[in-house]
Order: sequence, then C-alpha cells, then structure tokens
Amino acid sequence: MARTSLIENYAHGAAAAVRAAFADRTNFILQSLSMVVNNGFMLVLWFMFFAGFRSVGGWKLSDMALLIGLIMSIVGVAGIAFGGYRDMAATILSGEIDALLTQPRSVLARLLSRDSSPSGWGDFATAVAILVAFAGLSWRDLPLFAMGWLSGLIIYIAAATTFASLAFWISGARSLARDMTEFVILVSTYPGSIYSGASKLIAYTLLPAGFIVLTPVRLLRHPSLATLATVIGAAAVYAAIAIGVFHIGLRRYRRGATPTMGA
Amino acid sequence: MRSMPSLTIEAAAHDRFGALRSALAAVRLGAEGAMAGWPVLLGRSAFYVLLMIVLTALWNKVIAERLPGTLVAALPAGGLALYIGVTEWIGLSVPAIHLRLEDDIRSGAVETHLLRPKAYLVQRFSESLGAMLVRMTVMGMAALVLLAACGRTWPPLPALAALVVLGPLGATIGLLLFTIAGLSAFWVRRTVPAFLILQKMLFLLGGLFAPVTLYPAWLTRIALATPFAAHMYWPASLTITPSAAEMAKALAAQLIWIGLLAGVAALIWRTGLKKVLRGDL
Repeated sequence: MARTSLIENYAHGAAAAVRAAFADRTNFILQSLSMVVNNGFMLVLWFMFFAGFRSVGGWKLSDMALLIGLIMSIVGVAGIAFGGYRDMAATILSGEIDALLTQPRSVLARLLSRDSSPSGWGDFATAVAILVAFAGLSWRDLPLFAMGWLSGLIIYIAAATTFASLAFWISGARSLARDMTEFVILVSTYPGSIYSGASKLIAYTLLPAGFIVLTPVRLLRHPSLATLATVIGAAAVYAAIAIGVFHIGLRRYRRGATPTMGA
Repeated sequence: MRSMPSLTIEAAAHDRFGALRSALAAVRLGAEGAMAGWPVLLGRSAFYVLLMIVLTALWNKVIAERLPGTLVAALPAGGLALYIGVTEWIGLSVPAIHLRLEDDIRSGAVETHLLRPKAYLVQRFSESLGAMLVRMTVMGMAALVLLAACGRTWPPLPALAALVVLGPLGATIGLLLFTIAGLSAFWVRRTVPAFLILQKMLFLLGGLFAPVTLYPAWLTRIALATPFAAHMYWPASLTITPSAAEMAKALAAQLIWIGLLAGVAALIWRTGLKKVLRGDL
C-alpha cells in the first residue's frame, strides 16, 4: 500500500481546498477584490496619518509599509494555505473533528488544510504591491525577508491554533479565538515604537505581534545575528506551544469532556 | 357585521404588540446569553483595555514628538484618549451578527426559521441587540474604572449622560451595518469581505482612531454625511466639544441613519428571501 508523508498529505488537502475556493469563480473574484479594497482603505489611513504627523517614535511611512506588507502577506498566505485556522474553534465545538479522528494522519494538519480563503489572494496581492512600491527593500534583503516572513507565518498560525484550541475547554471560544486572532493582527499594524512596559510585554507574549512582524522589521532595518536567532527561536517556541495545547485538548475531546457549540 | 373592523383593528394591534413582545423576549434572550458567556465578556473588556493602551500610546508618542509643521497643534489639549475610549467602547460592543446570519443562510437553517410565526430577521437582530447592551454595560464599567485608574480629567457630567443615550444608538447603527453585511450571504459564500470593507470604512469615515475633523476638509464633509460618523464620531465628539447643539446634532443624525439602515436591511432581506423561495441559494 502506498504511503504518503504528512507534508504530502497536507499539501494534497491544501491544494484541494484551494481548488474548491477557485471553483466558485464569482465568489473568488468578489472576495479577493473586496480584500484589496479593504487593504486600500487601511493604506489610505496610514498615508493620511503620516502626511499629517510624519513620524511616530522614529517610524516613517516606509517602515509602516514594510510592517503592513509583512502582516498582510502573512495573513494572506495563512488564509490561502492554512485557511482552516480561521474557524477551527467552531469546528471543534460542533464536533466536526469526529470524522478526522478515524483517519491515520494528523488531525491538526487536516484541520488547517480543510479550508482556503479566496480573500487571502487579495491580501497577498496588496502586500506584494505595498512591499515593492513603498517598503524601501532591495534584492539584497530577500534572504532576511524570507527568514523573517516564514517565522512570522509560523508564529501567526501557531498563535491562532492555540487560541482556537481553547474550544476544547471553553464553549464561547469561537468568538474569543476570533477576537484574539484579530487582536494579534491589530497589534501587528501599529509602529513598534509605541509599545513599552506592559504593552510591549503583551506584544511579545500573549499576542505575539512583536515576533510576527516587529522583530522581522528590525531584522530587515538593522540586521544582526541575535535578531535572526530571536526570530527563528520564537517560531520554534510558538509552534511547540500550539502543537502541545492542541494535543492536550484533543485528548480531552476524545474523553468527551469538550463543551459543544450550544453549551 | 359592525364589529368586524374593530376586531380586525384589535387583531392587528394584538399582532403588533405580539411582535413587540417577541422582539423584547429576544432582546432578553440575547442579553442572558451574553451574560452566560461571562468569560467572553471579560475577554472583550480586556481587549478594550489593551486597545486603549495601544492607541493611547500611539497618540501620546505623536504628541510627545511635537514635530513642527504637522497636525499635532490641531489635537485636543488633553489628547485623544477620551475620544478613542468612546469610539472603541461603541465599536467593540457590536456583536458579530454577520457571522450568525451567514451561518443560517449558508447552512439553510434560515428556511426552518421561516416556518415559525416570528420574523426571523427581527428576532436575530433583537437577540444581538440584547447582547450588545450587555457588552456596552460591562465595557462601559471597564472604561470608567480605566479612566479612574489612569487619573485623566473626566468629561463633563452632561456629556457622560448624553453618552448613555448616544452610545447605544451609535452601536445600533453598527449592528444594522453588520446586519447588512451578513445579509450579503444570500449572494456570496462568506460575509467576511463585506464586513472587512465596512470595518475599514468605520475606521476611516467613522473616525475610530481620530476625529474626522482632522481630515482634509473635503473628506471631513464626506465622512460627516455617512452612517459611519453617526456610529462613532458623533457620540465620541462630545468628549471634545460637549455642547447641547453638538448633542442634538448627534442625536438627529443617529435617528435618521437608524431609520434609513433599517429600511435598507429590510429591503435586502426581502430580496434575499425571494432568492431562497425560488430555491436559488
């Protein structure tokens, strides 16, 4: 019997989800374009802000463009290739993972690859345009950009998975997980210079915007080995936490101790 | 025979009161549901506090830099913390009714609801209204505690009293806007894009982060003519210019937009319903 690796299995699932997203052409175009418009509004806001105030603690428009480009591309690719994270809490609460428990491959991988968001393509397209046009990057920055971006993506998905895994314990986790993930995105869209004290602590722990975008921005603007190590280390730690919390929750689910959607 | 018209009127009045009673029951149900989910309420209040920390930090940083030739001089003397406190209080109190509508419409559950003698949209809206009022109360208390803790100057008492009315009315406008976004599920699979566009228009034209009066004059005029300003800017502007005229203007704008948006939502609902009845979903 032919065996497929976990990565192959995941890739097949994600590719099927992307094809399903493409299948409804009108919906796909509508969602992608609306995301471009949504991002355009955000960009206009920051353009207006920097036109009026020029700088925030040393952060200029090009730094903001880099930050926004990073978070948009991360959220975009997460939506395209790991789209199941967005409503994972609802999937857990509604008992839909029962069907996955009988299958031999990783439940988490299947949950992440079960959906693909057409709006992710809009995010990704806008991000590329912003990064190319306004972020002040050159080709020499590409390797560091790739490292920072990949780490940011891993941390973002890990954080969203951890929040969604709260559904194994809390019946209202659908709203809570969605809010926390949105809050991570929100904290990721402000200049790093505004965080200090408690807010900095939160941005580098509970809502890891600090590691998703702020540290990658620092890596690109002021490259150093220490920053590179921080970015990679943070990705490993957050991924381990997400996998750990999910599997502890899954054990609870198998015992039938997880609350349901209506509870 | 003479009693027939009277009976019809009585039946119609009874129907109206019946509909009002079931809507109020749905408000109570939504409020009780929100209170039962107290961990979520606490989490939302924590978000509110975090948001306030982030946004206050942003504006404090801008004001501290005092760059010449920028708009810093146009900012209120006490900063924008109170203004943002109100906009975020209103914005975070609005439940995600669009997701509920999307679930019901896309899963076909809405068809089951149509067999019941209660108006589906009114029931769902009323439930969300109940949840919204509970959120407003809890986050309002969080805001007052935060204000007391940070030692800032309190807004004048009449402005605070006016916010008790204008805040919930502003949030009702938000709920109507999200209802309209949710009803887009009759035509698109996911309502998130419509919601995101609305959300960003709220950021920009509603003056979520800064009063719309800081914008260029042409954009200020556009923003003030939209429901987004009635949702957030008008109530929050009382923290900057707490006058009776400002309060009356805010109230009038809100009541007009509530009427208009309710009409638009009803119209979209009826059009969508025709699609469902044709089996065209």
